[in-house]
Amino acid sequence: MGALSFLKDSVFAEEYAAGGGFLQSLDPRVKAITFLLFIIQVLFARSIPALFFLYGLCLFLALVSRINLGFFLKRTWVFIPLFALFIAIPALFSTFSPGEGLATWDILGTKLTITRQGLAAAVTFIMRVAASVSFAVLLTITTRHIELLKVLRIFKIPQVFVMTLGMCYRYIYLFVSMIEDTYRAIKSRVGVLVHYKSGQNIVAWNIAFLWSRSLKLNEEVYRAMLSRGYEGEARVLDEFKTQVKDWLWLFSVAALYLIILWMT
Amino acid sequence: MDDLIFALKDVYFSYLGKFPALRGIDLEIKKGQKVSVIGANGSGKSTLLQILDGLIFADKGEIGFRGRKLNEKIFYDPGFSRDFRRRVGFVFQNPDVQLFCPTVKEDIVFGPLQLGLEKNEIVKRLEKLVEGLGIGALLERQPHQLSVGEKRKVAIASTLIIEPEVLILDEPTAGIDPLTTRHIIDLLIEENLAGSTIITSTHDLHIVEEMSDVVYVFGMDKKIVKSGPAEDILNDTALLSANNLVHIHSHKHMGKVHAHPHLHIEHHNNPG
Ligand SMILES: Nc1ncnc2c1ncn2[C@@H]1O[C@H](COP(=O)(O)OP(=O)(O)OP(=O)(O)O)[C@@H](O)[C@H]1O
Ligand SMILES: [Mg+2]
Repeated sequence: MGALSFLKDSVFAEEYAAGGGFLQSLDPRVKAITFLLFIIQVLFARSIPALFFLYGLCLFLALVSRINLGFFLKRTWVFIPLFALFIAIPALFSTFSPGEGLATWDILGTKLTITRQGLAAAVTFIMRVAASVSFAVLLTITTRHIELLKVLRIFKIPQVFVMTLGMCYRYIYLFVSMIEDTYRAIKSRVGVLVHYKSGQNIVAWNIAFLWSRSLKLNEEVYRAMLSRGYEGEARVLDEFKTQVKDWLWLFSVAALYLIILWMT
Repeated sequence: MDDLIFALKDVYFSYLGKFPALRGIDLEIKKGQKVSVIGANGSGKSTLLQILDGLIFADKGEIGFRGRKLNEKIFYDPGFSRDFRRRVGFVFQNPDVQLFCPTVKEDIVFGPLQLGLEKNEIVKRLEKLVEGLGIGALLERQPHQLSVGEKRKVAIASTLIIEPEVLILDEPTAGIDPLTTRHIIDLLIEENLAGSTIITSTHDLHIVEEMSDVVYVFGMDKKIVKSGPAEDILNDTALLSANNLVHIHSHKHMGKVHAHPHLHIEHHNNPG
């Protein structure tokens, strides 16, 4: 359950979005564009120093946006292995990346050799995933969920898609909260000493039930939105405003983009 | 007939086609009236209120709103839909359902923003409500982190800010402390004096008298058992106890335990 709460906190925390750091003060549209540039650059960068530089830049931005670095690292590194490990590990070995051997194991008759090229490829890959995931996460935690959806709309992503995304987000949130509540309810009825294993069993048994319950709740939330005049596209109080700062930021990111491109 | 807001004729509703929730409801609600709906758990109160708010639609029977028939189709018309949402506000029984924005403030202004109200006007109304309900300290908090009563206050604010002509409240005072209950009732009565129609469902018998010109009692069979002025209903102890609305209360009096039917209103009718 600890893992679940952590996941919930890290995916749904909105407190940073409301905080008064550097990124929070940018126009969400400009922020989204520049982050897109960063991510594109990361995905196409082939030099390891450039990747390290971009990743460092990301951490620096997190710092000046008053984001707790520990929280940020934990949050991003939860996702990174998910993306990286399964794809990067096979590439380490000579079967997939032939080259100069660094270390060799003999496992069950299969010879596994780590090659220099393989290692470089793996480091590049992991850094790529780490930096792009970090940029994506940084964008999402410094921007309110509703604003993010609105930015998607501005980029001409169809409304149905954005609405569905918003609904999924809410749904997952409700679902996770419900699992948490249920777990607490079980604990209160069965006693504190419930073994986490049996607790999990009960939760597992109830998952179908929870599913339908949170679906129902989601439906009700949707009704509540309708009841207050929601017509498919949420309006937010603070309309986006671009300031001089936003333009400066946009130009410096574009310049940096070109410099890195030219240098590597 | 001009001042008729809602007119229901023989309305039936069941969930998923197999769980009946309303079985033949007839009622009329006039402009400026205070109406309350009372009844045991599961007697169909919330279902009725959601039907009135055009959130779910009857299986059978007719629902009229100011001379027009409410059905799913009529809400496809954006003009009607917006007009209806502006006129009718609904406070859900479960405040968790009603609060879905990242901060309390955004939640409160959600309705008027969707309905296209002026920004300045929204801010003005917000300030007034925040003061009236004493929720200033909550504005930047996340709604799901509030206590049940705080959530309910925010939910009420998020509906009141629309300043609807018809206010539908599903158990507005459940889980709210006595003083805040008083504030909310005063607020609602003020709205009513200004001309709003107020429809509440409640188990809280001591707010019934103030909140109703007409009381509808819903029975276990999901029908209206009785309707009439508040005093007639509240004095009908047999009816109330048959519908789970009074309980047997045990007291200790000088060391002896007494048990007698206990009307909630008895305490509260006395001034003080
Ligand atoms: N989503 C649902 N699916 C199936 N049945 C439902 C659903 N919601 C309500 N019901 C059933 O419909 C009936 C009426 O429910 P409703 O919520 O209207 O009662 P209520 O009078 O508001 O009760 P309470 O005082 O507990 O709020 C109940 O028998 C209930 O079991
Ligand atoms: Mg109810």
